[in-house]
Amino acid sequence: MTSVSHDPITLEIIQNSLQATADEMFAAMRKTAMSSIIYEVLDMGTGITDATGRLASSGAGIPGFIGVLDKSVKVLLEKFNKPGDIEPGDVFITNDPYYGGVTHLNDLVVAMPVFADGRIIAWTANIAHNSDVGGKSPGSLSADATEIFQEGLRLPAIKMIARGEPIPAVFDIITVNSRMPDFIEGDLWAAIASVRIGARRLAELAEKYGVSTFEAAMDSFMNFGEKVTRAELAKQPHGTFELTEEQDDGRFFNVKVTISDDEFVIDLRDNPAQDEGPSNACRDDTLVSMQVIFKALTDPASPANEGSFRPLKVLTTKGTCFHAREPAAVGFYYEIGIRAYDLVWRCLAPHMPHKLPAGHFSSIAGTFIGGIHPDTGRQYTIIEPQIGGWGASAGRDGNSAIFSGVHGETYNCPAEISEARNGLIVDRMELNTDAGGEGKWSGGHGIRIDYRIRRDDSFLTLGYTRSRILPWSLDGGNEGTPNYALVMRKDGSNERYAFGSGIKVDTNDVIRIITGTGGGLGDPKERDPTSVADDIRNGYISPERARQVHGYVG
Amino acid sequence: MAEKTIRVATDVGGTFTDLVCFETDHATGQSRIITAKSDTTPPNFEQGVLNVLEKAAIDPKTVDFLAHGTTVVINALTERKGVKVGLITTEGFRDTLEIARGNRPDFFNLHYVKPEVFVPRYLRRELPGRMNYKGEELQPLDLAPLRAILDDFRADGVEAVAICFLHSYANPAHEQAALSEVRRLWPGISAVSSHQITREWREYERTNTAVMSAYVQPAAERYLGRLNDGLKDRGFDGNLFIMQSNCGVDSLDSVSKIPITMVESGPASGFWGAAELGKLIGERNVLALDIGGTTAKCSLIEDGKVRIMTDYWIERDRTSAGYPIMVPVVDLVEIGNGGGSIAWVDEFGKLHVGPKSAGAMPGPAAYGRGGTSPTTTDANLWLGRINRDYFCGGSVIADMAAAEKALSDVGAKLGASPSDVARGIIRIANNNMVNALKLVSLNRGHDPRDFTLVAFGGGGAMHAVALGAELGVKKVVIPAGAAVFSAWGMMMSDLRRDFFVTKLAELRAGGGNAVEALFAETEAVALQQFGEEEVDASKVKFLRYGKFRYQNQEHTTEVLIEGVISDARLAEIEAAFHETYEREYTYRLDAPVELVGIHLVASAEVGKLTMRHKEPTGAEAEVASKGEREVDYALEGVHKAAIYDGEKLEPGMTFSGPAVIEDPGTTIVIHPGNRVEVDGFGNIHINLKA
Repeated sequence: MTSVSHDPITLEIIQNSLQATADEMFAAMRKTAMSSIIYEVLDMGTGITDATGRLASSGAGIPGFIGVLDKSVKVLLEKFNKPGDIEPGDVFITNDPYYGGVTHLNDLVVAMPVFADGRIIAWTANIAHNSDVGGKSPGSLSADATEIFQEGLRLPAIKMIARGEPIPAVFDIITVNSRMPDFIEGDLWAAIASVRIGARRLAELAEKYGVSTFEAAMDSFMNFGEKVTRAELAKQPHGTFELTEEQDDGRFFNVKVTISDDEFVIDLRDNPAQDEGPSNACRDDTLVSMQVIFKALTDPASPANEGSFRPLKVLTTKGTCFHAREPAAVGFYYEIGIRAYDLVWRCLAPHMPHKLPAGHFSSIAGTFIGGIHPDTGRQYTIIEPQIGGWGASAGRDGNSAIFSGVHGETYNCPAEISEARNGLIVDRMELNTDAGGEGKWSGGHGIRIDYRIRRDDSFLTLGYTRSRILPWSLDGGNEGTPNYALVMRKDGSNERYAFGSGIKVDTNDVIRIITGTGGGLGDPKERDPTSVADDIRNGYISPERARQVHGYVG
Repeated sequence: MAEKTIRVATDVGGTFTDLVCFETDHATGQSRIITAKSDTTPPNFEQGVLNVLEKAAIDPKTVDFLAHGTTVVINALTERKGVKVGLITTEGFRDTLEIARGNRPDFFNLHYVKPEVFVPRYLRRELPGRMNYKGEELQPLDLAPLRAILDDFRADGVEAVAICFLHSYANPAHEQAALSEVRRLWPGISAVSSHQITREWREYERTNTAVMSAYVQPAAERYLGRLNDGLKDRGFDGNLFIMQSNCGVDSLDSVSKIPITMVESGPASGFWGAAELGKLIGERNVLALDIGGTTAKCSLIEDGKVRIMTDYWIERDRTSAGYPIMVPVVDLVEIGNGGGSIAWVDEFGKLHVGPKSAGAMPGPAAYGRGGTSPTTTDANLWLGRINRDYFCGGSVIADMAAAEKALSDVGAKLGASPSDVARGIIRIANNNMVNALKLVSLNRGHDPRDFTLVAFGGGGAMHAVALGAELGVKKVVIPAGAAVFSAWGMMMSDLRRDFFVTKLAELRAGGGNAVEALFAETEAVALQQFGEEEVDASKVKFLRYGKFRYQNQEHTTEVLIEGVISDARLAEIEAAFHETYEREYTYRLDAPVELVGIHLVASAEVGKLTMRHKEPTGAEAEVASKGEREVDYALEGVHKAAIYDGEKLEPGMTFSGPAVIEDPGTTIVIHPGNRVEVDGFGNIHINLKA
């Protein structure tokens, strides 16, 4: 601690400030967004990269978005590689996974370079799900899309603000292509405000401490991330672990994980060819899903940066569902991502029982309901991921009703707000207590929501997995329960769905959303009778079922 | 009329119950100030209050105005010492409390534990009946099942009932009917319904608020009742006011009904004090910082006004979703950094400070009570910022050997000397606090350079100058009596209620009248409530805030509206919104603006203290000099600092840093180049280098 400029305390202070900046960017965007998927559900993320696009710090939000932004910035740097291509005040946008967008077209990535001493020293960036970017279906996601062209406007890593001046053509193209132009414009400006605020803070930091110290702090932060990860890797069981798992649609997914002191290799090469429909992920997104489970296994407590992921290697084969080739449709990429994430989790759970609970409902369960608001006459669209039950771990029952492993600091929508904004009626929103998931430690409960439609010609689009192949259990516990939706027609008929788009629903039809209970752990007969008695008293299990699975005799 | 007015403020803290008394002589306008401290006396906290009055030799008979703040509510919540609550809610929504919002703040952690609900499922019961978001009844309320529900509650030992129905913010009729039926069927039961506490939407937040209020209600009611009786028995017949989280005080009766509003009363009085102090000394833009033993709290005051919000959560941090309490609370950011915060080194050799605190036992290593971890206080002692021969106002002999040992132990892990470690602790603690101050300023679109930093609490003055310099403020003010500043703030408080009402309205023809009607209606409610407490309508002042947003947004921006609202004024109101919005978020939109609800502040002065300015005596600062010592200013190096006795400083005195001012409650660290001036109220103004 001799030199004032590079001493560890100064570096630590800059690192804290990077974290505070990423959080401030997150707060700014949340407060100004127009779509409830952003401000309420918080389907968004913020991050800071160094000059070369390496992730230095990330804001709160969704773990599945944290590794996205660095990949986008890297693509921008490759594309805008001539002197003068990138200037102070510029803001860039991309949404196309074949051009640095990583996920699907609804997710707009906005990035801004930060300049000091006449050169780029960092980038601020964010990503958020926009309500509608055009394409063949409202909300832009369609279960029957076969090419990305059908999924909306493609923005292949372009400049939208030059030296602080918005490029009107870009904004015009974006708004004219959306069914909800006011929303996309409002959300886009929220994103721009967020990167600008972040860039201003970083420039202040660099000015205060000097560019070289600022850059040294980012470097040391990443090196620290790597050090923590490697230390944890050394403690893990070494060897190769493999799992093949059947999917709802009858295909089989395979993973081989090889862990050593230096590397954590996830091999997804031996998997089915890319889907004709939209259930595909680009390689970058598969990489992000793997980063999420890797981080959970190695260092869940500290914020992620590039260093955290250095020991991770992911192998894929081009043209498979985990490494789609242009122009494959990718709208439902997230269900593929979470399948890969859960596959690694399930593969390793028997070998790392203290780190990994039994399987959870494990689906984004993306639900889209839209139509004309009966009171305002304006178009509304619900876009929401669902909450569900988590698996049991040794010594503890699973959580009920929280978001899946690739979501995080996201919030469900209150019934009171949903009824006002969307003009439907939420008949109930309660725990799903269908039988399943019991064990010595039981899985947490999913939910049951009934949306009663108030106007004809409304629609439902959805894409759930774990609807046939159930949340998996451990050590003799019971499997969990499925995710699905029922359309309960006013004539009394019911239709069950896991995937579907543009399903027509009319006045007094009820859309019932059911999410699964997590898997149990250990023999249900070994469950403490006092806990079983509590379960019965609380109505989490029926007395008959308790007798049957727990052998309860109270 | 009496020749003197006696005002007393008492503050029940975790360890001590504090008292401050101002005895104002009408002839001279001067006040005599008495302070006293006695032990807090759980579970009969009122005893501590009566004890401290006795200790200060104050006869309750002579007291005109008694303000009281207490941590009883927050402690009951965090220590889970409330009662068994039964919840009655809308059919289909009994799990709202358990579902909560589904978020996982600790998102990489696969072993995240959702906060446990305060009411188990078997005590959450439903009644049929529905309102819609416009407050129209869709299905009548069916009270028939209530009798059996209450029988079950009785059998299960329920001691308080909470009621929350969907859309009761828009129409409370069902809640009112259920509440009166509960009272009829179960006379004497403690019961509360959500609309009595809040008229805002979001059913989980409102349900949890009602549940938590019910949870603390019996204990709080009992406590306030006994306090009142105890004071009456001793002849007190003045006005007793209870400090609220919204920076106002309220009557005992009113608070007893909804005690949850006391949840953050401690910090609120300090921040109110900072706002009042700012007005007194002509600094209407204030960054207020309160550093105690375990935490630091800060808040921003703009143009003399505190910001009151209803987005308040307890136990919420990076690892837990916490619990929402939808009551008006001063907008504050709290971090786990105080004088007692422990410095530690993680397994990768990084130094951290807090959030764990050494508390009062064992306390900092230098207390010599067996503490082995270095705290921020130890670092301040080691660097000569705190006088080792005048530790805790001379009441504790600093165990420097223990402090050195603790700092060396940490230093061994870092390969650094004790002084390096101490400097590191100060810098990291300061950085944590700077980030908190940025959250309430920069993060909300305010430039700290336009603000004056007012620091108080036991530790505020030690760090304030370094923080102020980092933020670029021009001036730091340390109030007279900084250590008991919260109690002073209580004495400056008005009787105040904040009404938040959710109601959607578009800013177009007819909208102006609708908004005016909503304000008028809410003002009538406020006047009626004040009237019941014999506060004359002429004394009540209103501040009207509209909560606006661009159509389709969710989060709102508050805009102060003066005067009667009509359609003709909508354009002007909209322009004010655009302007406020752009300042906060850097852009504005050409989109329709709508009103989501109102925030009405109703306040009435209830005989608060008037401060009297003292003229400079002409004495030089040298008379307060205690000599010199070496002080380590971390980044600015070691300097020989002039030491002043805070109790001997007089209005008008000036001197320059490097210096340290010591008084029994606090130590003020003045950096090289600072210019210090004592004002007519005894406050210390520190002008930073330009």
